[in-house]
Amino acid sequence: MAAITTGSAVSFARPVKAINVGSVSFAGLRKDNVAFRMQPVTQRLAVICAAKKETVEKVCDIVKKQLVLPEGTQVTGASKFTDLGADSLDTVEIVMGLEEAFHISVEESSAQSIATVEDAANLIDKLVEAEAGK
Amino acid sequence: MASRSKLSGIQKQVLALYRGFLRTARLKSPEERHRIESVVSAEFRENARNIDRKNFVYIEYLLRRGKKQLEQLKDPDITGLSTLQINKSSSH
Repeated sequence: MAAITTGSAVSFARPVKAINVGSVSFAGLRKDNVAFRMQPVTQRLAVICAAKKETVEKVCDIVKKQLVLPEGTQVTGASKFTDLGADSLDTVEIVMGLEEAFHISVEESSAQSIATVEDAANLIDKLVEAEAGK
Repeated sequence: MASRSKLSGIQKQVLALYRGFLRTARLKSPEERHRIESVVSAEFRENARNIDRKNFVYIEYLLRRGKKQLEQLKDPDITGLSTLQINKSSSH
């Protein structure tokens, strides 16, 4: 029974992975991006999807505080909340914490699609910009 | 919990309810807010741990009850919430 559930979970994960292929490879590129920001190859991607460095750092801090992670735990842009030991309720709490820290309001649908620090940072930058543009 | 991006409808509803509670808690005084958050968080986590994830009837009941409680909590006249422990063996 357990085997069946895991089996189906895996097969569920597959199509999701497939959709994420773009963003997964993006994440890889973005990691390079941080290191070699000046490289023209990744510049185009930087414009499209890289969140501001401060935002990522601030998100990391909040995530660490929210999940009460031990000192020295590495949290980077590519960190998945679930990998850091967060369950779905923790993720809700993180997003709520971020909302308050950045004075924004995240809609239900977008809030549920946030899985990594980078996701959160990108969304925050977008919302902060939209807020400033008003 | 294997893949978070594939949440079922009922899971999304639960998370939306949780979010609703946390949002409403912000509107209350700081110490009440803190109490509400810990009560709500404990309740959700307790239920998440103890209820069989296939027990849809019960989960839906809890969702309805939670929504009703949230509506009550949204009333600005309501300043806080409290819980009481009932000894189950002595009830009825």
